[in-house]
Amino acid sequence: MSGTNQNYLTHPKGIMSWLLTLDHKRIGLMYLFGGLFFFFIGGLLALGMRYALATPEADFVTNDQYNSMYTLHGAIMIFLFIIPAIPGALGNILLPLMLGAKDVAFPRLNLASFYLYTIGAIFFIYVMISGGVDTGWTFYTPYSTESHTNVMGTTMGVFIIGFSSILTGLNFIATVHKMRTPGLTWYKLPLFVWALYGTSLVQITATPVIAITMVLLMLERLLGIGIFDPALGGDPVLFQHFFWFYSHPAVYIMILPAFGIISEIIPVHSRKKVWGYKFIAYSTLSIAFIGFLVWGHHMFTSGQSVLSQIIFSFITYFVGIPTGVKIFSWMLTMYRGQVSFTPPMLYALSFLFLFTIGGLTGIFLGAVALDIHLHDTYFVVAHFHYVMQGGTIVAFLGGLHHWWPKSFGKMYNQTIANICAIGVFIGFNGTFFPQFLLGLRGMPRRYATYDALGSEELVAQYAATHGSSTFFSGILGLSIFIGVMNLLWSLRKSNKLDPGTNPWGALTMEWTHTTSPPHPHNFEEEPVLEHGPYDYDKVIVQPTLKK
Amino acid sequence: MSEEHHITPLKTYLLVAGTLFFLTAVTVWASYIDLGSFNIVLALLIAGTKAGIVATFFMHLLWDDKKNATIFVGSLMFLAIFIGITMTDTEFRGAVNPEIKDPINKRAAFYNSLPLTDDHGYPLDKEKNHHEGDKDHH
Repeated sequence: MSGTNQNYLTHPKGIMSWLLTLDHKRIGLMYLFGGLFFFFIGGLLALGMRYALATPEADFVTNDQYNSMYTLHGAIMIFLFIIPAIPGALGNILLPLMLGAKDVAFPRLNLASFYLYTIGAIFFIYVMISGGVDTGWTFYTPYSTESHTNVMGTTMGVFIIGFSSILTGLNFIATVHKMRTPGLTWYKLPLFVWALYGTSLVQITATPVIAITMVLLMLERLLGIGIFDPALGGDPVLFQHFFWFYSHPAVYIMILPAFGIISEIIPVHSRKKVWGYKFIAYSTLSIAFIGFLVWGHHMFTSGQSVLSQIIFSFITYFVGIPTGVKIFSWMLTMYRGQVSFTPPMLYALSFLFLFTIGGLTGIFLGAVALDIHLHDTYFVVAHFHYVMQGGTIVAFLGGLHHWWPKSFGKMYNQTIANICAIGVFIGFNGTFFPQFLLGLRGMPRRYATYDALGSEELVAQYAATHGSSTFFSGILGLSIFIGVMNLLWSLRKSNKLDPGTNPWGALTMEWTHTTSPPHPHNFEEEPVLEHGPYDYDKVIVQPTLKK
Repeated sequence: MSEEHHITPLKTYLLVAGTLFFLTAVTVWASYIDLGSFNIVLALLIAGTKAGIVATFFMHLLWDDKKNATIFVGSLMFLAIFIGITMTDTEFRGAVNPEIKDPINKRAAFYNSLPLTDDHGYPLDKEKNHHEGDKDHH
């Protein structure tokens, strides 16, 4: 767009200019690398567990170590990677750019959120060195009040990261309301912004509850106040209500931004106006709202009342409506478009396939009668990995590939990226599809060994299925690792894009109105909106990728 | 948020303060009347009204940008959802299967048929070292 070479990555220079930066793009990058670091740790824990489960006996890790591994895998992946990754990293980098704004509404608060994230992360690292924690990421009472592992450190970490999440949500809501460039009305917002807005609403309304829950749990451990102890008049099931009142909406904190990414990738790489813009926008808000009314479907075997079970099961089905609206809108967007199989698009197509399986198996689990059988089996493990990894992480990888040239002004090797995207798809299905079968055959989750679970024949079946799951988890891990390395390798000095490059021919403001990587103040002059975000029927922008 | 700062007349403040004192008196008076389970409802109703008056006048929600009032009412709504739906569990637990009503209370009658255990669920007559004991048998 202009002749100056100034960009946010090199101006200003020095480590302190990063640690004290108020620039949303730099804060976003710090979130990105923090998140990727913990994704790596969480992934190693997962591969370790898969390796341990390849054989029925405990020959790789002890039972206690295994308990700690699955707890830390869950807690790290959720609290340190998935929840902050899309809003904290991609959201931070893109939201002001998409709004034509100079920064988020409260830049200092934004940095404060990142600091809180870092402090929370330090707690987690401390927990890992001090011997781990074995309650599962759900911290259910009464065990979590009695466990001799480091429950306090973990809950403290979750408590602090919760505030990071709340502040980011608050910041984004204020930014969307107040920082849009003149003429950018609500219905001209890119759908990623709608998704971040919906996510932020959930973040500020739900996250305080996990903070309260963690405080109550700490008080219960330290002082024995008895909120969750029936001997003192408390109720352990109440803990699950508290926990899931946050943690179910948290599922939408994790998946809504992924929906936003898919809503961006599909129209751009299909060169077609998004189908049902308002439907997608409003379905985001309705998912955010309905998400608050269904938490009890995690508790069908907890001993909650039959009335609650019926209510929760009934409302759970409603989530399927706005979700279905989205899936069909994306498919109709691709219909008769010029679909190009770029790395971001391959991830988006994987997402559609994997998330649909994840969503549909959620309907199985929403039915009380079936859930009683499938609860705490590998069916549940497979289901939520299809949603969280097949959905959110695949969308995150797609978004990362889509906006990588924007964030760094570098293009990665697209052939390797495509191979990795296909590897992720194959590895993922190979890892998790067998787990549906394991669950249906009764294999419980969170077990370190399964040699004593039944007849020799059953154990042999389990071992064969676990074995193939472990084999494919290697392919999955390797594909993601090489995919990320491919991105990092593109950062070498000799690799450069023209600052005006719009590699995918996108129409949203971050591509059309600023350079890649962007100017430190985003736009050199106040951007003027010339067209809607998806007007591919009116405006023709050719992809301008030159090697 | 509002364009210009609203200045509330002293009279309004005094009137609101008077109402709050009056409602405090009503609370005290109501505490002497036994209405059974309605006691808590009445107490919450009076306290809720007082909190509403404070938010509306002293905290200026009446004159502020309506978004602030929306957020305030919205947060109350979320609290109501949380407590309300949770009560569909706590109030009706055991309605169909009475034995699940107090399943974890170790002093519940349900446990009378089971052998006696300590607070951690270990049989009382066994030797010590039970804290680490059960996690490690491979």
